[in-house]
Amino acid sequence: MLKRISVQDAVGTQLAHDITEIRPGEFKGATFRKGHTVCNEDICHLQRLGKNHLYVIDLAEDEIHENEAAAVLAGALAGEGVAWVNNPKEGKIGIKAAIDGLLSVNTAALAAFNMVEEVMCATLHTHTLVTKGKLVGATRAIPLVMKRAPVERAAAIARQNGGVLSVRALRKAKAGIVVTGSEVFNGLIQDRFAPILTDKVTSLGSEVAGVTFAPDDADLIRQAIVSHLENGCDLILLSGGMSVDPDDVTRQAIRQAGATEMHYGASALPGAMFLSAWIGDVPLLGVPACGLYHRTTVLDLVLPRILAGERIGKKDLAFFGHGGLCQDCPECVFPYCAFGKGA
Amino acid sequence: MKLFHELLESSAAAHGHLCPGQVVGVRMAMLGCRLIGLDETTQRDQIKKLIVYVEMDRCTADAVAHVSGVKLGRRSLKFADYGIMAATFLNLETGKAFRVVSTEEARDLATVYAPEVSGKSRQQLTAYCCMPDSVLFRVQQVRVPIKPVDLPGPTQRKVTCGSCGQVVRDGREVVSGGGYVCRPCAEGAYFSNAREVTWADMNWAPGEAPELSASHDHGHHFKNPGKRHAEVIALR
Repeated sequence: MLKRISVQDAVGTQLAHDITEIRPGEFKGATFRKGHTVCNEDICHLQRLGKNHLYVIDLAEDEIHENEAAAVLAGALAGEGVAWVNNPKEGKIGIKAAIDGLLSVNTAALAAFNMVEEVMCATLHTHTLVTKGKLVGATRAIPLVMKRAPVERAAAIARQNGGVLSVRALRKAKAGIVVTGSEVFNGLIQDRFAPILTDKVTSLGSEVAGVTFAPDDADLIRQAIVSHLENGCDLILLSGGMSVDPDDVTRQAIRQAGATEMHYGASALPGAMFLSAWIGDVPLLGVPACGLYHRTTVLDLVLPRILAGERIGKKDLAFFGHGGLCQDCPECVFPYCAFGKGA
Repeated sequence: MKLFHELLESSAAAHGHLCPGQVVGVRMAMLGCRLIGLDETTQRDQIKKLIVYVEMDRCTADAVAHVSGVKLGRRSLKFADYGIMAATFLNLETGKAFRVVSTEEARDLATVYAPEVSGKSRQQLTAYCCMPDSVLFRVQQVRVPIKPVDLPGPTQRKVTCGSCGQVVRDGREVVSGGGYVCRPCAEGAYFSNAREVTWADMNWAPGEAPELSASHDHGHHFKNPGKRHAEVIALR
């Protein structure tokens, strides 16, 4: 229960919550912290902040203070690979990445959590690459004092399947690259794909074990794939031959190499002619020619998720659609934009 | 208690179709029975310990009754006409009661729990299967002061309406002018202009009663259900 008292009568009482001060362009934060004992000198400062009355808290058994609620909520929201400190500021607790990796947000549980009255949690988009220490979410109870039951129900919802927020480390893959195209194989043009793909792989902490060049010949491309597999590669990237021309035989080659699962086409631009296939547990990613031109393509959406242990299938490629249209900004801020994160 | 999918299948068969309300009802009953500590409510040793109050006459109500085994005629199923997607489960032995309320937000959340499913009804059905209880329901512990005249068991009380002469059971009469009156006479009824009539073939009777055996839990059972079935077919 909250009791309202005049600020002049508040000397000697303890503040029920942090009091925020905003000086435009200069400062926003808690000038007075919860539990601070009000003294004579504080009265004028509080009045300048527009506080003529303060709350004194007398919690009933079934009530909970916002700070305690925030800790209950943060504890339930936090899954593996994230960390939080029980030091609420203005009632809020931030949840940070405890490791480098891929943020995973259980969006259904998050929506269900936020549908509970008087609690909230806001996060970065799921599937965002984050580094250790990055703020990935924050939570709070909305009122200063609330009933305990909704907080506990929200916490139960958040706890489903191990928390709403988690960060998964990327595995270190041994990648094999197959650059297809007779024009490159025969030296008519210089390859630019291999360095681009190598850079994408190594920037995620994996290594490239070998690059093979193959002409537009399904059997030779198949042989290149098999050779990488025999060499112990657990990730294969293929460039070129993904389009609609008669010379585009990469898909045929992947099938001949023994792909058990193959999905052609992704609902993202750039990257519509992307191909995702599996030979056993080894993913094969077919990168269309857009990868030569655009800094960010569907490969940047799929590769981190593959390395985080996801088996990307038809549904995942389809769900890129909403938010899957890259704006091709002059200054790219990916992964901190909505590209490919609408699902 | 049987597994969820078995219960859903038999509930849908009994109700006539599979719908989101069946999923909610099956889960509501599973949760409600679990909360009051009864896990086999259709078994003889538990069947008389349970009373369920349903607050809506929708698909969910049938599923709740099917799974929990309560029946209107056994007085274990009560209908509170509130239009609320809720049911209260009362353990008569312990007095413990929980009201399980289906959340409105679960409807909005169907799109996020089953985004790959198109069609509102199919999407809700799929989503309601995979949502945790904490999202699908809110639960209140409640006290249910049940009157002796509402309990299962033989009729405790009968009075005759002083206005129309109808016998009224189980204390449903109204005291009026120092006597007892049935509710239709006292308050008006869901029908009006009642006029007694005759009808065609009004002397039809089924014939001999089937062979019956006394049962331990309630009333009698057919001794030979197969024979009865044959008679029913012959009558047609």
